[in-house]
Amino acid sequence: MIRIGENLNVMIKKIGAAMKDRDPKPIQELAIAEAKAGVDYIDINLGPARKEGGDLMAWVVKTVQEVVDTPLYLDTINTEAIEAGLKVYQNRKGKAVINSIMARPESMESKLPLAQKYNAGLVALLWGPSGLPRDANERGVLAAELMQKAAEFGIPNEDVWIDPIVTPITSPQSQVQVPSCVEFMKMFQDFQEMAPGLKATCGVSNVSNGAPEHLRPILNQTYMMLLERYGMTSAILDAFDDDMKAFAAPGGKQDLKKIVYKVMDGEDVDLGSLTKEQVNYVKTTKVLMGKILYSDSWLEF
Amino acid sequence: MTFAIPKTAYTGKIKEVVLGRGPKAITVGGETSYPFHLFEGEMPHTPRIAIEVYDTPPDDWAEASLEPYRDVVGDPVAWAKKAAGVYGADMIALQLVSTDPNGLNTPSDQATETAKKVAAAVDIPVIVNGSGSPEKDAELLRKVAEACDGMNLVVGPVVVENYKQIGAGAIAYKHTLAANSPIDINLAKQLNILLGNLGVPDGQIVVDPTTGGLGYGIEYTYSVMERDRMAALTQQDERLQFPIICDLGKEIWKTKEAKAEDSPLMGNAAKRGVLMEAVTAQLLLLAGADVLIMRHPEAIRLVREMIADLMA
Repeated sequence: MIRIGENLNVMIKKIGAAMKDRDPKPIQELAIAEAKAGVDYIDINLGPARKEGGDLMAWVVKTVQEVVDTPLYLDTINTEAIEAGLKVYQNRKGKAVINSIMARPESMESKLPLAQKYNAGLVALLWGPSGLPRDANERGVLAAELMQKAAEFGIPNEDVWIDPIVTPITSPQSQVQVPSCVEFMKMFQDFQEMAPGLKATCGVSNVSNGAPEHLRPILNQTYMMLLERYGMTSAILDAFDDDMKAFAAPGGKQDLKKIVYKVMDGEDVDLGSLTKEQVNYVKTTKVLMGKILYSDSWLEF
Repeated sequence: MTFAIPKTAYTGKIKEVVLGRGPKAITVGGETSYPFHLFEGEMPHTPRIAIEVYDTPPDDWAEASLEPYRDVVGDPVAWAKKAAGVYGADMIALQLVSTDPNGLNTPSDQATETAKKVAAAVDIPVIVNGSGSPEKDAELLRKVAEACDGMNLVVGPVVVENYKQIGAGAIAYKHTLAANSPIDINLAKQLNILLGNLGVPDGQIVVDPTTGGLGYGIEYTYSVMERDRMAALTQQDERLQFPIICDLGKEIWKTKEAKAEDSPLMGNAAKRGVLMEAVTAQLLLLAGADVLIMRHPEAIRLVREMIADLMA
């Protein structure tokens, strides 16, 4: 699994301050730490970056590339900042990736030409003209639209990373949303047949947003298993989450995955024959598949 | 070829909960199908209607809702007797609104006396609601529970901030709790889990999902109740298999539409308020309500007719 480190984020106090003061040290230290933690990409999240976003992105990209070779995700809605970052980006171990382009005309028309011009990858975010898609089918429509547009600009399949949008299990709408994102991934397999090389990525930890802190890892990991089964090959995540790292390792948690897949397929699983940990994954799968209603105490039942 | 109506496969059952004591005690719950789906399962107990009684004379009520109670508004005991004797309430819902710390802030001891008198004056089950201030209700409802030892009141609203204090009182003095959550299915389930963990027996819990009135969020309440019953009946969600109570009268009659006077645009005021209350009650019944807390006798009559039709 491809890991994209999410830590270099303007919302993190220390990083935000360093970006503002153009102080390279905290940013470079974090970039080095993320690279050491073995992430495949480093996401540079500037947020909206309305003021002088271009200068800032160019500076951060140069600053990070002075110390690491890890390829970068350029994460902001500010088109000018994206372009400024791409302009200075040095491709040493992979292309830069625009994070993200939405399935909205103004987003596609302003950013797809940049991907073409600078030979960059892009995250195709399934956020349409009317916002968050309501189910798997609406996700499918938006994905098709983004793929077609990207093809028109001559972007190779393997540079397109579909992001089906992960929503929190703690919010009431998500009893529909969380399973539909998994449902969409089944469709994604068909898209991959049409467009070999097509990738997918997601902000997996959003699924546990609002859940008790100590229970977030099992939600994140289980959800990753669900999505990965149908071709989700990467995730934007905490570079220092060792559990996710172990999980992302090739062949990680094979036994557990077998059990989880059974639950996904609606097969009966004899809880008596499982370890406590396995039982917890079974329960979590049921919650994430919409078979059991989420509550903060879901593991106790 | 004959056509067979598709039927829902149910796997769960709503728990039965007894409210009140003695010959007029009421059992609610027990459903094995969606509301009024008598062709699919059972609904052994007819939904019940409680009539509101206030501990202090209301000063801002719509004329139409005040009229039936004008002679008793200063006396909760007389009010409760009239609601039971004249309007045939199944239950009394004593609203201790004057205890609100941001309002009259009536001391808990005094309000407890009122609750005790009202509960003693009628032989039907009594619901005692605090003002909705979590801190004050924690103190008040504990005292009410103790003073009415063994009467099996319904006390509420019990929220996540005060469930321990009120829950302990309910366990010690044998009352039923109205577990209240802010129109949120996950939080509703979580509060039921917490009450169970505290040791409150299942037979002493009803769920209050928070009720929005017609035009003021009824659709949200409806969706949450609908989802509650789906989880309870088709997904074996044991922590949602509880009867549902809806406190709707106060929500309807506080709206500007219910209070507006007669006008060519809005029509007859009394009729309008009554219909708003009846329609809201109807929706809540279709979503799964077992107990409705209502105000206007005419609205109650209409809703009873509807229940009778659907149960026939």
